[in-house]
Amino acid sequence: MADAVVETTNLSKDLTSNFLRRRARILDGLSLSVCKGETYGLIGPNGAGKTTTLKLLLGLIRPTSGSVTVFGLPPGDKRALSRIGYLPENPYFYSHLTAYEFLDFVGQLFGLPRAERTKRIKELLALVNLTGPQDVQMRKYSKGMLQRLGIAQSLINEPELIFWDEPMSGLDPIGRKDVRHILAELKKAGKTIFFNSHLLPDVNEVCDRVGVLNQGKLVGQEKISAISNNGSYRDLEDYFLSVIESASRESSQAAGESAQVS
Amino acid sequence: MKQLDAVQAIAINTFRETVRDRILYAFILFACMATIFGIVLGSLSVGQDVRILKDIGLSAIATIGGVIAVFAGTNLVYKELERRTIYIIFTKPVSGWQFILGKYIGLCLCVLVMVAAMGGFLALLLSLQTGAFQGGDFSQPICELTQQIGLIYLELLFVTALATFFSTFTTPVMSVLFTVSLWLSAHMGDSLIELGKLSQNPVISTFLQYLFWLLPDFGGLTRIRAQLLYGRAPDGEVITYLMSYIFAYIILILTFAALVTEQREFT
Repeated sequence: MADAVVETTNLSKDLTSNFLRRRARILDGLSLSVCKGETYGLIGPNGAGKTTTLKLLLGLIRPTSGSVTVFGLPPGDKRALSRIGYLPENPYFYSHLTAYEFLDFVGQLFGLPRAERTKRIKELLALVNLTGPQDVQMRKYSKGMLQRLGIAQSLINEPELIFWDEPMSGLDPIGRKDVRHILAELKKAGKTIFFNSHLLPDVNEVCDRVGVLNQGKLVGQEKISAISNNGSYRDLEDYFLSVIESASRESSQAAGESAQVS
Repeated sequence: MKQLDAVQAIAINTFRETVRDRILYAFILFACMATIFGIVLGSLSVGQDVRILKDIGLSAIATIGGVIAVFAGTNLVYKELERRTIYIIFTKPVSGWQFILGKYIGLCLCVLVMVAAMGGFLALLLSLQTGAFQGGDFSQPICELTQQIGLIYLELLFVTALATFFSTFTTPVMSVLFTVSLWLSAHMGDSLIELGKLSQNPVISTFLQYLFWLLPDFGGLTRIRAQLLYGRAPDGEVITYLMSYIFAYIILILTFAALVTEQREFT
């Protein structure tokens, strides 16, 4: 696809359990692409493979089969990573550091000069509303504060592509509103955003397009505007549930047929 | 130079993390108390009080320094995995070698500070014992002490590299076992050769010989430390050889650690 920033083709990932060496397919033939400037939401039930997808895109794990490119480069390529901002799910940072020290550390990993780091840290702490406790060690932070700091660190390099894993998790309604506002600003600035979330109203509000992942398979993909305009679904939640139900029906039918054949 | 920025950042972070760990200070306190105990033991001897204080003090530095290097080193990568902070590192333009080198340098700096603190305390006790503060000449003993502590630190650099390597692919308990086993075996090189000579079986004899060449050998380090203890300055060439040997080993171990990290998947 032209202008595709993220592209996966038949991407699959098997994980092997440590003890019995049993293989389980976590992701099965995922093909998707995300264009420049697009906000893409990957939604799905727990264990659907959303976090695995992000790890594959970032090169933290390698695919079992299929291909993946980010900015046309293989995942984990340093040139691509320097243009990416990533927020992990339930971020656990270095509890011995203060917010300022942590952001400075992340800035150094990107090789940002000191003056630029100082400027960016000030801006980001203000953006995520953490200017007060910036000199407090992170061990004293609440889950919401850690989430805000996680968002700040993901933006330190002014990334062109943002990967956020459950950005609203652990945030109170005010925090969620703030994150939606940040997302809207990033979108306005032309950033490409790819995020996983369980919170469908938030996804509905900020995304251009959503993909539904169920048991490692992409079972649906639709533009948000199409979901709300074509009248087939009440809202994103209705679309999500219908897609998941029909996928579950199909997979149980397929399982039944294969049992009859054998 | 940008590549070194990441190494520096990881090193400073590791140093901060280790230095801010309170358990470390308990170890140092223990080392200081053991050194003070050397004064008590020395007072029971006839004219050997300084020698006993020095022996016990240096042993405390070597042991506590080793404990810090082993326990902090073996947790180095494991902690990052367990707390999932590794995701923060490897989603940035950071290579395996930058991560390993940064972690290693950070821990070595911490060990250096700890060894220097314990060494400073020992020097203070020695100067009080020898009456250096009342005008006695203390330059010669301090020079010898610095050399001895330098050799202890050189060995600890190797132990830290070993611990860092094992922490890249196994649990802390296994890492401690592997590190301590290799560390101890490095002091038993001569015994391996002797055992090989004593063995009637040529296969065992050859195996032990190969094992001797494969394992690190700290026999030279032990000999120089013994020389220093008796006030004999070691030959400059020997020191250079020993340092080159240990640094070559450290580079080899860290290269393996970086390769393991590079190949690893962070699930």
